Amino acid sequence: MQARDSGALLLTELEVRRAISALPPADWLRLHKVARALCRNAYFDAEDLLQEAFQRALGGSRQCSRTVDIVHFLVGVMRSIASDWRKARKRRPEMSLVTHKGTLPEVVVQVRDQSPTADEWLAGIQEATCLKKAILDLFADDGVAQRMLEGIMDGIAGEELRSLTGLSQTQFASKRRLIRRRIDRAFPQEWKP
Amino acid sequence: MTRKKNRRQRVPLDRLTDALVDDILATPDADLLKEAQADADNGAAVARRAFERASRMTALRRLAASKRPPRGGRPVGANIRALDPKTARGWLDEFMASHPETASKLDDAPAAGDQLSDEDVYGMLEALQKRGVLKQRTIDQGRR
Repeated sequence: MQARDSGALLLTELEVRRAISALPPADWLRLHKVARALCRNAYFDAEDLLQEAFQRALGGSRQCSRTVDIVHFLVGVMRSIASDWRKARKRRPEMSLVTHKGTLPEVVVQVRDQSPTADEWLAGIQEATCLKKAILDLFADDGVAQRMLEGIMDGIAGEELRSLTGLSQTQFASKRRLIRRRIDRAFPQEWKP
Repeated sequence: MTRKKNRRQRVPLDRLTDALVDDILATPDADLLKEAQADADNGAAVARRAFERASRMTALRRLAASKRPPRGGRPVGANIRALDPKTARGWLDEFMASHPETASKLDDAPAAGDQLSDEDVYGMLEALQKRGVLKQRTIDQGRR
């Protein structure tokens, strides 16, 4: 049975409102930090993302299961919105009005082909490479952090990532936090090499 | 093909973002608060502000939705005179039959046996409407 089928498994809109209202300061902070991290890669504002996530939760278009922590639920909503907005941004065609003779019936809406040109593609590769280098350069003094970052960006996670660094569980968590803190300071808004 | 390659360039950054988010979720409250203090981060206030704005927007949307007429036509409160005379008479008869005691209390109710003009019928329906006793229904089928 799906959760959606049973009201008892889901928080009501009032319960969602109460749960969010009652969040402690650290969780408000956590939500904002997550929004900022998601926006860094997506060219929109953290506050807008937060507001949209709250609206969807309060309006009932996204429903929270009783077994899910409300902060984790909101983070999931933000992730999904951020992904949608990124896709929408990519899909949005560039349009321009073209008129040859200056008369209205002859105005043509010119929609640009959305597939990247060779130049754009190359520029994209260069930007991504520069960015990756800029991030790794932040940890020029810390080989372990660099190894960890490379592992993360290559898709390695969990225990495999930890064994790659040779750190204990606690050391691994501290290193990950150090990485986040340094990146937060170096890229407060968006990824820009 | 090229678009796929373009997307792939961003994947390492997406993975990094996911790792950063996981770390934020795993960081203890006390550490997050310390970080905010050290960085003079007002993120908690920004998030609260976003929540308050979202609450207001949701309330406004609900209000707008409640004012919107139901599907299939306008509610009877909109304009009783938009009904065709036959439908209006049918509504009044229906109401009189089911609420004889309320109908008799109407100030402008005609004496029994009187032949009601269309104007009388509309007037009575409006009076009932004013008193809020006319059943909520739509006027689409009966529109003149």
